[in-house]
Amino acid sequence: MTGTVDFAREAPGDEGSALIDVMPDVAARSPFQLFWRRLRTDRVALAAAALIVLLVLMAICAPLIVKLVGARPPNQQSDKYFSLGKVGVPSPTGPSSKNLFGVDPLGRDLFSRVVYGARVSLEIALAATALSVAIGLVVGLFAGYFRGWVDTVLSRLVDVLLAFPILLLGIGIASACSLGHGCLGGLIKPGLGVVILVISFVNWTYIARIVRGQVLSLREREFVEAARSLGASHMRIMFREILPNLVAPLIVYATLIIPQNILFEAALSFLGVGVQPPDPSWGKMIADATDVFDTAWWYMVFPGAALLLTVLAFNLLGDGLQDAINPRASRS
Amino acid sequence: MKFLMAMALASTALLVAGCGGTAGKKGGTLTVLSQGDVDSLDPGYQYYQYDYEALSQPAQRTLYGWKPNLRKPSPDFAASMPKLSNGGKTITIKLKSGVRFSPPVNRVATAADVKYAMERDFLPQVANSYAPVYYGDIVGVKAFTDGKAKGISGIQAPNPTTLVIKTTKPVGVLTTANALTLPGTAPVPKEYAQKFDKGKTSTYGQHVVFTGPYMIPNDRSGKVTGWTPSKRLELVRNPNWDRKTDYRPAYLERIAFLAGNDLSLATRRILSGNGQISGDFAAPPVADFKLALEHYPSQVSFTPGDSYRSITMNTTVKPFDNVNVRKAVAAVIDRNALVATRGGSRIGPVATHYIPPFLPGFQEAGGSKSPYDYMSQPNGNLALAKRYMRKAGYASGRYNGPSLLMVGDDSAPAKNTGEAVQSQLQQLGFKLNYQQVPHEVANSKFCGVPKQKVAICPNWAWGKDFYDSQSMIDPTFNGKNIVPSNNSNLSELNDPKLNAAMDRAERIPDPAGRAKAWGAIDKAVTGLAVQVPWIWDNDVNLRSKNVKAVTNLFNGTWDVAFTSIK
Repeated sequence: MTGTVDFAREAPGDEGSALIDVMPDVAARSPFQLFWRRLRTDRVALAAAALIVLLVLMAICAPLIVKLVGARPPNQQSDKYFSLGKVGVPSPTGPSSKNLFGVDPLGRDLFSRVVYGARVSLEIALAATALSVAIGLVVGLFAGYFRGWVDTVLSRLVDVLLAFPILLLGIGIASACSLGHGCLGGLIKPGLGVVILVISFVNWTYIARIVRGQVLSLREREFVEAARSLGASHMRIMFREILPNLVAPLIVYATLIIPQNILFEAALSFLGVGVQPPDPSWGKMIADATDVFDTAWWYMVFPGAALLLTVLAFNLLGDGLQDAINPRASRS
Repeated sequence: MKFLMAMALASTALLVAGCGGTAGKKGGTLTVLSQGDVDSLDPGYQYYQYDYEALSQPAQRTLYGWKPNLRKPSPDFAASMPKLSNGGKTITIKLKSGVRFSPPVNRVATAADVKYAMERDFLPQVANSYAPVYYGDIVGVKAFTDGKAKGISGIQAPNPTTLVIKTTKPVGVLTTANALTLPGTAPVPKEYAQKFDKGKTSTYGQHVVFTGPYMIPNDRSGKVTGWTPSKRLELVRNPNWDRKTDYRPAYLERIAFLAGNDLSLATRRILSGNGQISGDFAAPPVADFKLALEHYPSQVSFTPGDSYRSITMNTTVKPFDNVNVRKAVAAVIDRNALVATRGGSRIGPVATHYIPPFLPGFQEAGGSKSPYDYMSQPNGNLALAKRYMRKAGYASGRYNGPSLLMVGDDSAPAKNTGEAVQSQLQQLGFKLNYQQVPHEVANSKFCGVPKQKVAICPNWAWGKDFYDSQSMIDPTFNGKNIVPSNNSNLSELNDPKLNAAMDRAERIPDPAGRAKAWGAIDKAVTGLAVQVPWIWDNDVNLRSKNVKAVTNLFNGTWDVAFTSIK
């Protein structure tokens, strides 16, 4: 990492001022300015960011949007919107002015379920990502900073977890804790909480590895040396000196983990161990839609498109951020 | 006491018994597509719908059987209806001579073989589930099960063609021959079977011999070779079957039952293919049901399921100990919307109580109408429900207690029904911890286990054992039938007055008196609102175009012993 915060703060002091003498047009720029200049030219990433902002707004204002459109609440079931057809078998109806995206086999409005589904997806993805980053960061910091036996223990733990078939592990934990009265004596109750815990439990290891690698190199740098010689404590060095240098890569990796987590939630819900009914989840909707795909295409298409767009947006933004922060690193 | 292992459907105009009357063509192979397998090859264990369809009806001769379109028992291995004496406590049954066992036993079946069959129904290694309920009052049962007697003294075989059953008090389901149609009355040769009945689990199933027109292929020692569990079961002709002794025409040469099929795919294969019929799935998924009716209407047959589906409330879990809360739930449920989740009104009429149409006692229990306001509104009535909630002490008309555990099936259409129930209950403020699990798990681990304290089960279904309403009401509402596992009294209703009325009704020997008594009990149970019955559903049976398939009214599915290839 070139544009680390501490390093940059000192940078204009020596070389920078010399350069100004020679080429007065060149202004001193903070790493953030550099980053923003690069990101600004990446139209794809900007479009992705705009889409994400829209999605977040949609999730936050879901009740308002549903009201404005005149749709029904997401869990309101009704047999009013079934068509009996020629043979008298009630089947859900497709997109219409009353139900923009059609209705599902329970007669619920698909538009409001997709809008509310964004809430569930983002809530879980953001919470699980924050939790994975927090755990991964602490573990990585300790392992990289202290090295020795602390590193050995923590790194082996990470290795073991990485060796697990993650999806199977997730299904195992989720199904154990989403049955009956929960697991660990009711401490973990079925619902969103279990899904968030499962996802963070299997995802923090990647962050831990990355952080550990960064810390291993950072701890040998001069500013750390300097802090140490001034008598700073381990905690101070880890959290005040090293941590700020990790913010940029963490943002990039977090942005890249979010879509993974959204897909993971969708997969868990698709397999029936994720979000509990009646909460709308895109993954669950897609799973239910497979039964009726040839008579109710809209049931799969709209949640599927929402999932695709969201994941794509986060991935593109993540790539853009990575390029902007670290233009020399190749991404392939 | 028969759970509906499959999913059933209903309609007002029933296309019963596809083609009756004209004889079919002899020969040919029929393929039956199913989701699951039979429960057991052992007639002593068999109980469920698919066991009857695949084995009990085409391959065994029970004392009495069910002709395709009769709603009363007909003599099968028996030669005539039972003769009663001693105030209904002695039942004498004449048997046919000339009914022979399949190889390797080959000999003629006698009354002693029925005696042994009924005795082994009580052996723990046979794991029969109904013997204590229906045969428990036969003289000498207790001495036999306690190990004090070698046989049951009340079942006697004075000569090869006479069977005498003596009971301690009159038992209605025996005097009417209804419970003598159960698979556990098919003869079992003692000298051959006894060695397999030793040990912890009987292995007679793997060596079973047959008296009906068909048998599973076996080797010289009698070991079954035509069965791969959960995959394939094959029936071929039983060379020792004598057509003259039987009412079954048995047109087909071979029948293959294939398990492990996807419902949707199987539906399409049967309808567009040749030589196939539906097996254990009583109704296709809604989308495929629609397709079948639109494009292949002549290949779809409906039979009344003689069953109900209901939402059960556990009376030992608060707030369902309060009758007014239960009535509020019954009032708020939109039963028409629930019926829509299974395929609409063609799948069956909205239920108003438990005994289904066509079973004695249906009219006595109120027919299609209900005397109770909370069961009279098939679309649900929120205002009425709120009134009952206020009566129960919830001033706002809404529930405000802790969330309740609801456990249902995780596959459509049952899953959709459960989610509809959940959203309907939300209108009364009920917060549910709703869990979807596989069908077997829902019953075996949660709803059928009182210790789990499951408050609501939205996917309960119950079907008859025979045309007597005791089998609809007694196992599910009598307090004596609450057991720690595999419980069928889900509401854990234990009302001393009702229990006594049921025990009295069990003793009534004549059919009319039984219909009246069980109908009245049904009405009383409905008055306690412990469950919300919402459909009396029909079975939907599918056939390929070239199959001349015949449905069996009793079993609600195809009767392969009457089916032929065109």
